[in-house]
Amino acid sequence: MEKFKMNKIFLLLLILGSILVIVTACSGAEDTNADTDNSKETNESESEGTNEEASGELSGEIEFMTISLSPTFDEYLNGVKAAFEAEHPGVTVELRDVPFDQVEQIVLTSASSGNMPDVMNLNTEFVKKIGANGALVNMDEAAADVKDTFYEGLWETGGVNGTVYALPWYTTTSGLIYNPELLEKAGFDAPPATYEEAWEMSATILEKTGAYGEVIAPDMQLLFPKNGIDILNEDYTAAAFNTPEAAELWASFKEYYDQGLYPLDIMLNQVSLAELYAQEKVAWWGTGPQLFRQVNDIAPEVYEKSLAGPPLEGEAGKQHANPMNIAVAESSESKEAAIEFAKFVTNADNQLEFGKLASVLPPVEEAVNDPFFEEGAESEDATIRGRYYAAQSLAAAVNMTPATEHVSAVNEIIHTAFQRVILEDVDPADALADAEAEVNSLLQ
Amino acid sequence: MYKARHAWGFLSIPLILLLLFTFIPSIAALALSFTNYNIFRPLEFVGFANYIEAFQDATFRKAMFNTVYYWLLVTPALVVLPIFVAILVNQKLKGVKLFRLIFYFPTLVSVVVTAILFSWLFAEQGIINYFLSFFGIDPFGWLTNTVTVMPALAIVTIWQGFGYYMLFYLAALQGVPKDLYEAAELDGAGFWRKHISITIPIIKPMIFFVAVISTMGAFKEFTLMLTMTKGGPLDASTTAVYLVFKEAFTNLEMGYASAISFILFALILIITLINQKLLDQNPNK
Repeated sequence: MEKFKMNKIFLLLLILGSILVIVTACSGAEDTNADTDNSKETNESESEGTNEEASGELSGEIEFMTISLSPTFDEYLNGVKAAFEAEHPGVTVELRDVPFDQVEQIVLTSASSGNMPDVMNLNTEFVKKIGANGALVNMDEAAADVKDTFYEGLWETGGVNGTVYALPWYTTTSGLIYNPELLEKAGFDAPPATYEEAWEMSATILEKTGAYGEVIAPDMQLLFPKNGIDILNEDYTAAAFNTPEAAELWASFKEYYDQGLYPLDIMLNQVSLAELYAQEKVAWWGTGPQLFRQVNDIAPEVYEKSLAGPPLEGEAGKQHANPMNIAVAESSESKEAAIEFAKFVTNADNQLEFGKLASVLPPVEEAVNDPFFEEGAESEDATIRGRYYAAQSLAAAVNMTPATEHVSAVNEIIHTAFQRVILEDVDPADALADAEAEVNSLLQ
Repeated sequence: MYKARHAWGFLSIPLILLLLFTFIPSIAALALSFTNYNIFRPLEFVGFANYIEAFQDATFRKAMFNTVYYWLLVTPALVVLPIFVAILVNQKLKGVKLFRLIFYFPTLVSVVVTAILFSWLFAEQGIINYFLSFFGIDPFGWLTNTVTVMPALAIVTIWQGFGYYMLFYLAALQGVPKDLYEAAELDGAGFWRKHISITIPIIKPMIFFVAVISTMGAFKEFTLMLTMTKGGPLDASTTAVYLVFKEAFTNLEMGYASAISFILFALILIITLINQKLLDQNPNK
């Protein structure tokens, strides 16, 4: 009898749970629908917001989520917050910093509970994924007045399917940190200037020093656009990388791999290139100059003897810039204030100040023209000199990330195809054709 | 009645927590597995489409194969190896407590730290290849080769887990009556005979328990794949849970990820029931 009662209670609890689930699911659907409705009503709320702005009466509370900037840049961020609040007394800004590796889960969790931060610092791939799903404010419309202040190639960074969903914040292009001792041992007195030259030098460097020269990095899909091969077609509806040039490029990479010129674990993101460089196992490392200091943290003596040079160039002669972005949640209750704050954070003055503090570059033309970024051409410090080279290449830099919400899947398909060439001896042309078919079926 | 009320009183808090953080999310995930939920778009009921897609998806099939393969590599080792170690550290020897601590130590190291350590060991420019170079062996990509990547990951799990299971066996060994060993010794039984004929049968329930626990652990493993190999190369180390994570948080396919979770749940349930059945048939339970 007692057992029967207990079972009944347990059953009751289960039923209660199920009801709760259904209620939660329904309310979730309503919320999502509400979000969609919100997006439909954007124009309406925008016009209201414009009225607010015109009368200078922006108001509300906004949460600004940054990625791994606290505590190093607390003072700067608090200064930006205070300046904005002074300009708009009706607005309160709350700062929140989240760890780099958790940002996507945090945003997704908060979105599912209908509580996304109003203004968010997001990486480019994630902007594309959630922007395409209607979660972010259309910046082509909301920030049309500031569009011209950004470099054209960088404004498109937050773009997906032809619409831009974020403002570029701090950015960098590549510089090249190199080990002159290793080069000298191999008989070279200068670093390579192009990828072609880099691969030519690699064989000698490996033979004479045992160290690697050029390697295939985890972002190997960018070697297509760097060599003038588009990843997607102009309207982002199909793959465009299945070309004879791409097959030739991959065939040469396969040849280099067979010669032992580079290991696969760097491309597979299993080991850090910074560590290998610090251990003098690679002769150079092409990356954002703000990361050169990692070498100093691991092996100061290696950093001490390192020099910086201009980034390697491919056939296209263009550099990839990958800015951090500032996006505004479509579901924000203080959308107008949030948009205004996003513009404020990314304006020339604030970008310049941040660029000076963080060894990063502002994607705003007026800020990069500051004499600060002209300094460093003769510096002996690799980071300062690298920043100079990166700043010089910024005007011609573009963000090369495929502008589709399926960006991660497209990148993975290209990676997998390349791995089949290397590990399974698949013909590059066949691997590219298979990858093209896979990308096309994904995008259609 | 009075006792029952008290029991429910004590049980209510954990039950509510279980309900809130286990049962309700599980039921919600089951419901979501029949939708195309991606957080931002309205829910749409898709019936069994996610389950059908899973069985048609080559990556999913590979992930399930990898999961079972990983389980076969890890669980037998984690069931058998700790028995030997537990018997050894159960001896009354000088300094045996230090050995217990040494064997248990890997369990205390965080999985991420372990992953970093073993990444350094297995790297093409890593320590293992460095030692092999003394014998004229060329560097080998332990984690970049589709054949060796899973055994390499299994070694990491076994290294980290066997101290944990050793503790279970040590506890079980305390329950083995000493007089049985003495009687066996009088009959002329040696070290191995004593343990095969006395220890193993008595600790059999614990062996089954360890088998179940390590099976569930093996089927749920994903941290090592995330931190050491990202499921590669060529999906050779993509396990079911890693695929769930990738589909949910990289591709935002929450409905599909939920469907994969429930297929995995069904598989674990079947294996656990088989284990349970075997345990029920065991006269020494």
